[in-house]
Amino acid sequence: MVIIALWPSSSPSPSVFKHPIVEAQDGGSGTAKQPTGNNAYCAVCHSQEGRTVELADGLTLDLHVTPDMIADSVHGTSNPEGVLGCVDCHGEDAFPHDDPLPENGRAFTIQMSQICTDCHVDQAQDNLDGVHAQGLANGNLRAAVCVDCHGAHDVQPIQNHPELAAQTCGTCHTSIFDEYKESIHGEALLVEGNSDVPTCITCHGVHGINTPTTAQFRNRSPELCASCHADKDLMAKYDISTNVFDTYLNDFHGTTVAMFEQDDPDVASNKAVCYDCHGVHNITPADDSKSQVAKENLLATCQQCHPNASSDFPDAWVGHFEPSRDRHPLVFVVDLFYKILIPGVIGGFAFLVGTDIFARARHIGGGKKDKGHRAPDSDVLAKSDPKKEG
Amino acid sequence: MAAIGTTVKQQYVERFGAAERMEHIVLIISFSMLAITGLPQRYANYQIAKDFIELLGGIESIRIMHRFFATLLMAGAIYHGGALTYKIYVRGSSLNMLPTVKDLRDLIGWVLYNLGLRKEHPKMGRYNFGEKAEYLALVWGTLVMIATGFMMWNPIATSKILPAEVIPAARLAHSSEALLAVASIIIWHMYNVHVRRFNRAMFTGKMPVHHMEEEHALELVAMQEGTATPVVPAEIMARRHKRFWPYAVLMTILLTIGLFFFVTFEDSALDTVPRQPVEASVDINPDQGNAEAGAAKWESLQCGRCHGETGQGVPPIPAIRSTRLEFALFAADIRRGPADMPAYGPGQASEQDIADLYAYLRSSLE
Repeated sequence: MVIIALWPSSSPSPSVFKHPIVEAQDGGSGTAKQPTGNNAYCAVCHSQEGRTVELADGLTLDLHVTPDMIADSVHGTSNPEGVLGCVDCHGEDAFPHDDPLPENGRAFTIQMSQICTDCHVDQAQDNLDGVHAQGLANGNLRAAVCVDCHGAHDVQPIQNHPELAAQTCGTCHTSIFDEYKESIHGEALLVEGNSDVPTCITCHGVHGINTPTTAQFRNRSPELCASCHADKDLMAKYDISTNVFDTYLNDFHGTTVAMFEQDDPDVASNKAVCYDCHGVHNITPADDSKSQVAKENLLATCQQCHPNASSDFPDAWVGHFEPSRDRHPLVFVVDLFYKILIPGVIGGFAFLVGTDIFARARHIGGGKKDKGHRAPDSDVLAKSDPKKEG
Repeated sequence: MAAIGTTVKQQYVERFGAAERMEHIVLIISFSMLAITGLPQRYANYQIAKDFIELLGGIESIRIMHRFFATLLMAGAIYHGGALTYKIYVRGSSLNMLPTVKDLRDLIGWVLYNLGLRKEHPKMGRYNFGEKAEYLALVWGTLVMIATGFMMWNPIATSKILPAEVIPAARLAHSSEALLAVASIIIWHMYNVHVRRFNRAMFTGKMPVHHMEEEHALELVAMQEGTATPVVPAEIMARRHKRFWPYAVLMTILLTIGLFFFVTFEDSALDTVPRQPVEASVDINPDQGNAEAGAAKWESLQCGRCHGETGQGVPPIPAIRSTRLEFALFAADIRRGPADMPAYGPGQASEQDIADLYAYLRSSLE
């Protein structure tokens, strides 16, 4: 359960989704609003198509928002709290608007996104720890804010559409999305609509997205993969072995990484983790010729870290299999050899020690005052008067 | 060497010289430290092993320590080879560490004696069956550990000579042999020389006569008869010395070079190339656009059909004012397709295409 701490507690999983405002009222935190629902007054102007305003930076700001857009959104008729009114987010504003026009389109978007945080307190809090909020704080105005992903007036529910999450991230992270699309996970999600596979947020989190280049993320990543790949029920559906995690941990790389994960999670280890070999966003099955761990690509994969690796070097890795007579017979034989030798030798020594203890107990029990375990036949000493040597 | 002199009056005989005792102390240190730094690695999945490793400064530091004491052990092995050659060749000692049929008889006799089935305790020579077993096990174990240790220390070199499957096999053999060695030392060695009776001979060099009677009765007799150590005439001894030392110096140099190679030969398995993180930032670079290519893309995507010939906008479809438009938004709008605009995926508009379009719009509006 350590993994959970890696990304935000607000899970993207539909089953855990809770309405933020309802939750806020239950939990007594956050600002519960009583929606006004009446958008007719604003709609007089804003429902007219083509109503735009040009900002000082040249961006054309579309002012067209219809009551239907709100009604069809999560803040509309499906909202258990009632339909949100314009003023619930934008505040009471007399007409004509006396606020000066924003000068910069992007700054306006960022500023407007602050409104979301009034109700969505937990998400906003998580988001502060995320890479996007940090990027923004560091002056990167391109970093995503609420409305970049969720939309503004037409916010749709996220339940039951894990593929939307991937597509949303792919809006900006295009080349990563392209890789993901071709991967076993991406293909299952985007083509087959399979929601068992991880989408972006499964690994990276939702609002409090951690930097995935930290030592901590790296050291914990095997457990992240294991959260699905060591899940027997889930893997049984796809006939995938769940031994992968244990065999990794028993291997040199895995042992080391697990040790770092426990003792020095913030210290980088140079030992391979799952994605070093299998790929990050472009993971394909090991029997796919595109896979980094396909037989023909394995050497190149090893050479990423071990540039001098020779063609036979990849065989040093037993490949997530328990050694058996057919697979890695040499390892199997060594194992068998010591499984016989160790009990044999130790058992033999224990037997010999046992007989000695038995003999000594017998001597002591016989009332013999024995200094040490003396040989009863002591004629050697009798003969050994030190005359000859001198 | 072994002699009965005045010591016999205190009922002691000399058993081990200073060099042998020193060698033993070095072996105690290297063996114990190898066990302490090695076995936790074998059992690294157990919490107690993890805690112990943490106590010793973490997994990387424990591995460095392990290698240090392995080097010490190997240096000790080189010395032992030289000392053994000296004893056998120069001093003319017999190969009294090799097992004989008599050792088997002694073993059986000793067990029968212990079980009360035989009255006489076997009389044994300088090294009895138990000591021979232990010594030969140590020699075998050290050779196995050096060979398998080399394979793990230099896996790439190993895989060039042998099938690479020997490396995981070596890892298993190394840790299994370690378990065998440590368990043997605890059960057999510790019992024999510490529990049943503290045998100080390896530290003081001397052994009480009554211990000799029991464990090395024949050697005691030989000492008394003066045949325990062969008598070599001085001139022969001098000749042997003359031959021995050049050989010993040469072998020491060669083996030390070998040892140096062993520990420094390969670094690619240790010093790996750091992995490059996946570039996560938004990929499209607005400064790499080509206006001409952008113009062509503008035509092929038919942007102008909705946005107007020059992107001036055809109400209600807004103008594209890319010159000052934030580039990320421009790119995002193409990908997402806001309002009624279709979304253009990377298949229709690549990153370069978007940068080109951006450059085209910028140039056309200047």
